[in-house]
Amino acid sequence: MNTVYLYTMVGVGLFTLGLYALLIHSHLLRKILAINVMGSGVFLVLVALAAPTQGAVPDPVPHAMVITGIVVAVSATALALALVLRVRTETGRAELPEEPLE
Amino acid sequence: MFITMQEFPWAVIIIVLPLSGAMLSFLFPRWVKLLGVLVALSVVAAVVGLGWQVVEQGAQRYAIGGWGAPLGIDLYADGLSLLMLIVTALVCLGVSVYSTGYFNRAYFRRSKANYFWPLWMFLWAALNALFLSSDIFNLYVTLELLGLSAVALVALAGGADALTSAMRYLLVSLLGSLFYLLGVALLYHSFGSLDIVILSQQVEPSPAVWASVGLISIGLLLKTALFPMHFWLPPAHTSAPAPVSALLSALVVKASFYILLRMWLEIFPVGGTALGQLLGLLGSIAILWGGIQALRQTRLKMLIAYSTVAQLGYLFLAFPLGSYIAWKAVLFLLLSHALAKTAMFMAAGNILHFGGHDRIKDFDHVVQYQPLTSAAFALAGASIMGLPPSGGFIGKWLLLEAAIHSGQWWLVIIIIMGGLLAAAYVFKVIGYAFTQSRVSHQTRRVPVHMEWTALVLALAAILLGLAAPWPLALMDIGLPFGEGAAG
Amino acid sequence: MEAISLLPLMTLLQLVFDTLLGFALLWLAWRALASPELFQAIVLFIAFGLLMALAWVRLDAPDVALAEAAIGAGLTGALLLATLARLEVKNRAKSELEKKHEVRVITEKSKHQTFFFLLRMLLFMVVATGLVYAVLTLPENTSGLAMPVLENLESSGVSNPVTAVLLNYRGYDTLLELSVLLLALLGVWSFGGIPKPYRSFPGPVLNMLSRLLIPLLIMVAGYLLWVGAHAPGGAFQGGSVLGAAGVLLLLVGWRLGTRFVGLPLRITLVFGVGIFVSAGVVFILLGRQFLEYPPSFAGVLILLIEAAATLSIGITLAALFLGGRPEFRRHK
Repeated sequence: MNTVYLYTMVGVGLFTLGLYALLIHSHLLRKILAINVMGSGVFLVLVALAAPTQGAVPDPVPHAMVITGIVVAVSATALALALVLRVRTETGRAELPEEPLE
Repeated sequence: MFITMQEFPWAVIIIVLPLSGAMLSFLFPRWVKLLGVLVALSVVAAVVGLGWQVVEQGAQRYAIGGWGAPLGIDLYADGLSLLMLIVTALVCLGVSVYSTGYFNRAYFRRSKANYFWPLWMFLWAALNALFLSSDIFNLYVTLELLGLSAVALVALAGGADALTSAMRYLLVSLLGSLFYLLGVALLYHSFGSLDIVILSQQVEPSPAVWASVGLISIGLLLKTALFPMHFWLPPAHTSAPAPVSALLSALVVKASFYILLRMWLEIFPVGGTALGQLLGLLGSIAILWGGIQALRQTRLKMLIAYSTVAQLGYLFLAFPLGSYIAWKAVLFLLLSHALAKTAMFMAAGNILHFGGHDRIKDFDHVVQYQPLTSAAFALAGASIMGLPPSGGFIGKWLLLEAAIHSGQWWLVIIIIMGGLLAAAYVFKVIGYAFTQSRVSHQTRRVPVHMEWTALVLALAAILLGLAAPWPLALMDIGLPFGEGAAG
Repeated sequence: MEAISLLPLMTLLQLVFDTLLGFALLWLAWRALASPELFQAIVLFIAFGLLMALAWVRLDAPDVALAEAAIGAGLTGALLLATLARLEVKNRAKSELEKKHEVRVITEKSKHQTFFFLLRMLLFMVVATGLVYAVLTLPENTSGLAMPVLENLESSGVSNPVTAVLLNYRGYDTLLELSVLLLALLGVWSFGGIPKPYRSFPGPVLNMLSRLLIPLLIMVAGYLLWVGAHAPGGAFQGGSVLGAAGVLLLLVGWRLGTRFVGLPLRITLVFGVGIFVSAGVVFILLGRQFLEYPPSFAGVLILLIEAAATLSIGITLAALFLGGRPEFRRHK
């Protein structure tokens, strides 16, 4: 068991954990946290697999991809949080209705 | 030193124009409408330029930054991407003209109206970038740009319905992107490249490839709203402002389908045929379920949204067939649906605007008061049903041919039943358009150009059928669907 | 001799550390997602982000570690806390009806059958196992694109390979990503009607601290931007530190002067993407490819673009924290 596979498996674990939480929680803030945890899982897989095994140079392309991913994630989170506040103002709740409109 | 017309990078211009337009309309809210129309016209011109290049010189590759794949990012334009860009340009030009009337300051809060334009141009830039990208990570970024702008545009309508459906849409969109990104991570670490062409040359079956096929497919299907992952689509497409509904149904869901199609044609042939059968089955259920739901709706926009669910189902019938004709057939259906659905949502927007509601039973002499809008709806409906000589007819005809050719008779039955359902819900609307309502209405005037835009786009959907040989020939440039001789 | 015999011990210690860190990450994520209190959940999530930064360091990705600490943990955490604060303010005014509703939801949930719970758990176990299996079969020792990146480093204008990828080889991704950030702010502003953060009255400590910290943060941002060319750092790290300075300013009650709220603010926000796009287009007109920098002054150009991007990123992040669009206060 080396570092690469250890962190990759943690990444997969975070992805599944986040997915699970996203589906079972109804509070929107928790759903947003769950999405962020899922994202961290994906990023971890991306970078962990690029880590050098024997003192070689790590592949910088996944690093750049993850930095891009982190910025995209914070943008999406900011938009989602603002939307939560608006949903809360309009409906009085920070949850989605069970039944879609109709 | 200066470049000649032959090598002018039209592909880049097509992306940069709406991007700059978005920034300019954010900087100068006073000029948004003028900017919107100007940008739309110049993008159409740039698409013509690219089209000329592609027709003259074949598929185009453009290395951004001069590095070339795998180190850099390449743009790639063949017949498939060119057709997507053309239909996007047409729809967006229509939306641009329509929105100058729709987002009128008299009845839309000015601050909201001003935000529509930059958001919409970001969406357009994302679409163009997506159809031109040859890099699977770059596609992820364009998907996010597309998703976030689409969500913001849905929320623009305000009110509880629009905001909750925007929220649901955002969560679905982000979830889909993450599935896609994990798939990309596995592909990158399997073959050390992000470029679709390089991947297609190197790809060979392995557990990691199967996993990424699964992840990418789930992510993109979620965004394309294939049954049973369509739950988010009807509320979002219904509660958005009319031009936004048009954009979403016509183009945004097609964008993720386009990526899936590319992947399927280039990278996934190793993925196995069982998945193709499954997609075909889900597509069939979508056609029937969407059609029945559409028939049950009492509100026009909701009906059109469920019709989108059904029509998206058709696109997946090509996967179990997998033949050259089948791919061309669904691409043709996609193009004609984009035009017809834009016209339909615009017509719905006009009706809603005129009478203040879109309850089908309470329509009051729509044909008499809004003859152009009614004609637009009927023509678009003809294409959705698949009546000759519309674009929808040609697409369905080709698809039937492919199904019969491969002996998959169940698909033939589904295609015909889907057409009948579409006819039923379209005629339901048209029937009520002639009747008088018992409720009296307060009516508002609809600007004439809003009616004309809907009609012109509906006519374009019909014309697409009459001019079918031309787009069918374009599809073969760069051979995205392989050699046609066998088909 | 000593050093050689210590080597296996070192690897063992590292392995133990990695394992502990891995478990800590999973545990924190699980606690953050399962915690009954939202405030606690967010604090745990921030802690999770900081541990993620540690994991990036262990994985030889210092650039990512910086970005994660500043953006992933720092600014995302600040955004989450700000949102929670605004939700809670209204919570106090919650009607009895809503409270009843909440109770009903909880009782319904407790009735959830264990069968479905187990089924769901099983499903997720299968998914996770499948993914782990897929990952374990990946070829080891793929260097990916490390070689071509290093071979072309000389003509890229910078010596930090990650910056070279972000700003040169895959600069187009970065351009679109800056657009995503700008778009997010546009989206937030377009929602309108976002409740204002409660006016905080900073105590003397925060006031003193901010006077010390803000200039320091701005300097750090500048340093990170500058150093990004050859060491870990760059526009995103610098920009997020600048954003943090902005957040601190907003916290102590500072607001942008009315004169700057309109066009000047918008220009600053658009600056990063604007310069990036213009740089790309100028080279097309000069007969090069889009975003193809001549190697001789690629370094200067990248620094210029990064400086613009840093400014825009910082201001955008601070504006995202503020939420709604800054208002014009009309003089009466």
